[in-house]
Amino acid sequence: GLPELREEQQARSLLRQRYLRSLLAMRDAQVRFRMYERVHVEARFGASDIDVLNFQVSDLQTPIGVQKEALLRCPDMISYSLEL
Amino acid sequence: MNEWREKKPQEWRRYVNNEVKVTAHEKQECQGWVFTVDPVSASVVLVNFQDTGRTCVTVVMGHAVEAVEILKEGGPEMEERLSSLFMPTGHHGLTK
Amino acid sequence: DSERSAQPPAERPGERRRAEMKILYGEDASKILGMETAMQLTFDRNCDRKQPKYWPVIPLKL
Repeated sequence: GLPELREEQQARSLLRQRYLRSLLAMRDAQVRFRMYERVHVEARFGASDIDVLNFQVSDLQTPIGVQKEALLRCPDMISYSLEL
Repeated sequence: MNEWREKKPQEWRRYVNNEVKVTAHEKQECQGWVFTVDPVSASVVLVNFQDTGRTCVTVVMGHAVEAVEILKEGGPEMEERLSSLFMPTGHHGLTK
Repeated sequence: DSERSAQPPAERPGERRRAEMKILYGEDASKILGMETAMQLTFDRNCDRKQPKYWPVIPLKL
């Protein structure tokens, strides 16, 4: 019914706002990415697209060298971490 | 197959402000306080407050989550502490 | 020659997305739409300027 819809909307809204805030706060931060196939990389975070499919990063440190500008695929990631 | 992603926002919301253990792909485990679960990707944003004063943030992608177990409920203090994270500096009109 | 198109009658740009957001987020839809639009703009602008390439070239997870 309507009350349940409102509850769902409010929950979704709170959760999404918090997530967007966390993404915005990541701008220019050093982020470590743990990816599939035991791949670990680190880069300076730039921005995310809104569907959380791509991360735009700079100075990506890969196992074989630095790529100045890169796009990382979120489906390739298991987790990412940073320090505030 | 991924039950975690099928949950409703209200269900995800119940994890917020609690300490959880997330089991991810290949039996990797992460523990921390839940800041949020993104309703678009089901990614779990975990926070750990370290003795050094730094805050460590780990986000487990929704597609990689295998299980989430609640370890402890955060009280009003933790709720307060978490809600003040990631606040934009020098921005106007942004709340919550 | 007139253009044949299956377009519905003129919709203001972003109207469909706005409607979808309203269903998903209710009252807070415009606030969230604003945050998302700002983020997408930053992403697009950065990509235009920096021309990043995918890494790795071949996806790790198909």
